[in-house]
Amino acid sequence: MVGEELTTMDPSGLKAIGAGLAVGLAGIASGLGEKDIGTAAVAAMTEKEEMFGKGLIMTVIPESIVIFGLVVALLIK
Amino acid sequence: MVSPVQSRGSSNYAYSVARVRAMKSKLLPKETYARLVNMKIDEIIRFIEESEYKQDVDELARTYDGIDLIEHALNKNLASTFTKIINFTNGELNYILTEYLKDYDIWNIKAILRGKYYGAPVDEIKESLVAAGQLSYGKLSALAEKDSEDDVIEALQNTQYYIILKEYEKGQLWKIENLLDHMYYSSLFQTLGSTKISDRRHFMKFIRTEIDIKNITLLMRLKKYGTIDAEKSADLMIAGGLELGLAEIEKLLPLSFEELLQSLEKYSYWNAIADIADPNIDSLTDLETQLTKYSLRTAGSFSHEYPLSIAPIMDYILNKKNEIRNLRIIVRGKASNLSEELIKNQLVI
Repeated sequence: MVGEELTTMDPSGLKAIGAGLAVGLAGIASGLGEKDIGTAAVAAMTEKEEMFGKGLIMTVIPESIVIFGLVVALLIK
Repeated sequence: MVSPVQSRGSSNYAYSVARVRAMKSKLLPKETYARLVNMKIDEIIRFIEESEYKQDVDELARTYDGIDLIEHALNKNLASTFTKIINFTNGELNYILTEYLKDYDIWNIKAILRGKYYGAPVDEIKESLVAAGQLSYGKLSALAEKDSEDDVIEALQNTQYYIILKEYEKGQLWKIENLLDHMYYSSLFQTLGSTKISDRRHFMKFIRTEIDIKNITLLMRLKKYGTIDAEKSADLMIAGGLELGLAEIEKLLPLSFEELLQSLEKYSYWNAIADIADPNIDSLTDLETQLTKYSLRTAGSFSHEYPLSIAPIMDYILNKKNEIRNLRIIVRGKASNLSEELIKNQLVI
């Protein structure tokens, strides 16, 4: 029947949504983390320029969450 | 109008605390003071000229020289540092710090009035101005150039201090000064006191410790050298201390110096002065230094306890004030040919 065909979802579509959520939500979370660390790093750099290297490293640490998200997304695929 | 108990918006803790901590790391290390005390006055001046104060010294070098230059540069640096903090903080943090730094407006008004009362030269009055509050340096120096106390008071008509200042009677300067101090603390309690906002509670703890230390210092001075009567002394005490409320202070007022020291044993401040508290002590400098050290130590541990709050900023403000005070003591002490030992005793390191 026509109605049944419409309600059945393609499993590959659901997979794609899952993968998208994994990367997307992980991206938002790391963005929130990086926001505070980034502002703190800029603040420290304003006073002490030599903090640039350390600040940069600290700022990208939450980036690992996105990598986990990406790995999960690839696994789902 | 925003009610006093309402929060003034979100604060940028991450930015402010990180910046203030970086600023704190640039304060002079403890060892420097020992070196400075051993230097000659010219070397000290050169040292300050090449340190964090370089910019301020350079800007003022055309107008002043020698010790006056250093004095002005230190004040200018203090004012610009605190103004900088006010400028980079937001919301609640900014509101609390602005209220706190009104202390400098009162300090400046008192300095100008005192200067006018005793007929001090305008330059000397300007030397003690620290424009870290709401009143700008331009406005303050214009006030310092006025002819008499009445002219100064007249020019302050649009400020919140006028209610008290207009009561000024010639020769009764101490009354006005005392009332201004009381007004400062009572307005802090009024605007920031009874509230559940955590930053305000942390801040009030600092203020109430400050009040306790001021009251204890004053009590000790009154008892050691005091000549004024108990009623007048009671007027000088500030209400709202953390451990010593007005009721406790009233009990301490009639005591002698020896009894006062004994009564202080039950308060936490005693730990700071226990080793040197002796009824026959010659000078109170050591006791006062220890109490200031205690307040700095408390601020330090408090800032570790609450890392993302107003505590690290207050810690920095107190330490910065102390650094300027120490440098001024060294420069002034050396200029007046005081012995190294005497200067060292005055420093809070």
